[in-house]
Amino acid sequence: MASVTPRVAFYPGCSLEGSSGSFEASLSEVFRVLGIERNTLKDWTCCGATSAHAVDRRLHLCLNLRNLALAEAQGYQEVLAPCAACYHRLAGANHTLQEDKALLASLNSETGFDYKGGVKVRNVLDYLANVIGVERIAAKVKHPLSGLRTVCYYGCLNTRIPRMASFDTVEYPMSMDRIVRGLGAETVDWSYKTECCGASLFLTAESVSAKLVAKILKDAIAHGAECIVVACPMCQNNLDTKQEEIRDAFKIPRPIPIVFVTQLIGLALGLEAKALKLSQSFVPFEKVLV
Amino acid sequence: MPVEMKENPSLCYQCAKCSTGCPVADEMDVLPHQIIHLLTLGMEDRALRTKTIWMCAGCYACAVRCPNDIDITSVMDDLRGAAMATGVPCPAPEALAFHQTFLSDVARRGRVHELRMMGEYNLRTKRPFHNAALGPKMWLKGRLHLFPPRAIRGFGKWMKKLWHR
Repeated sequence: MASVTPRVAFYPGCSLEGSSGSFEASLSEVFRVLGIERNTLKDWTCCGATSAHAVDRRLHLCLNLRNLALAEAQGYQEVLAPCAACYHRLAGANHTLQEDKALLASLNSETGFDYKGGVKVRNVLDYLANVIGVERIAAKVKHPLSGLRTVCYYGCLNTRIPRMASFDTVEYPMSMDRIVRGLGAETVDWSYKTECCGASLFLTAESVSAKLVAKILKDAIAHGAECIVVACPMCQNNLDTKQEEIRDAFKIPRPIPIVFVTQLIGLALGLEAKALKLSQSFVPFEKVLV
Repeated sequence: MPVEMKENPSLCYQCAKCSTGCPVADEMDVLPHQIIHLLTLGMEDRALRTKTIWMCAGCYACAVRCPNDIDITSVMDDLRGAAMATGVPCPAPEALAFHQTFLSDVARRGRVHELRMMGEYNLRTKRPFHNAALGPKMWLKGRLHLFPPRAIRGFGKWMKKLWHR
């Protein structure tokens, strides 16, 4: 049987259209250079993270069912959700609904949708490393990032969906490392790859999230990293925007930029800092590169 | 009052792997494995009043590591929801206010308007100048939009049927 390339719906999510526009911009620029088509899911709505799943399981399932049903009705076989929180909610709800047909039927009738369970939710790291492929990205590199020492930070939500097969190793993922190495940069083994940064407590328990952020920054610096590469807007926001205060409070010796993996790919592909919205980050990254 | 949940706490044999790997365990009054123990003893009321359920960062480290395959993170979610629905005193009112603010913002247009959401959250927690320095800095960086995203037609009405609070 001939394999047919699935149609992929792009689900931006609220963060990429808001405080993490640099993730959206860099992803879209990288796709353009690689010649990958991007079709945005029409009429998509919020996945409910951080709150729906946290207080109402049924609401969480319904919000995600809506987007999955739209994707299916619009003729897509896959949904690409670059935000780790959106990915976790969409993929987790999808898994629950696909496994429990009775629940799916009941929620379909409650919400007025008719989702049949025919959509796969893709993680951005999975898409970059395995669908596009590290080799295909590496082949387009114009400015190898040789000499750049990085740590890849996956955070908690990219690989941890209970009972669902993960696209990467849950405790020590390597997909982002493979991508970054393909760009010519070095990725270092470190201890905080998947430790939570506490982004969900960013507004509600600042001192707690600051403590978690400090541990991650310290370990990255102890390993000599010049930047932390991320694939989650919550992580980027949490590690970057309050970093100055956190460095002061926890005696962290130097700043460390937090860069989206797609921004790093873009730079290696020869794209301009402006197109990748590097200046949206609080801790400047350009200095590291010169 | 029994809390409605998909997970089965009685599968737990108290190895405490969840608590040892929890990044916010030191902020909790009752550790995750103790919460599960409370549930196996039928003491949901105690569990609902803990600071623990509001401190959980939702990182799923416990859930993917549990040797008995209990999704402890989802148990925390169910307890939080039940605490909210029954109105027991909340030891972390900021977290409660945040979830209410977030969901009311989603119900408004279908997509979150971060600036409005942060403003309403400050009003609800009666701290108008909370994070006051961060907002303008984020706006100058182009990370906060003054104007809300386009509203999705019919979404508010649709969501109101599912979310009454």
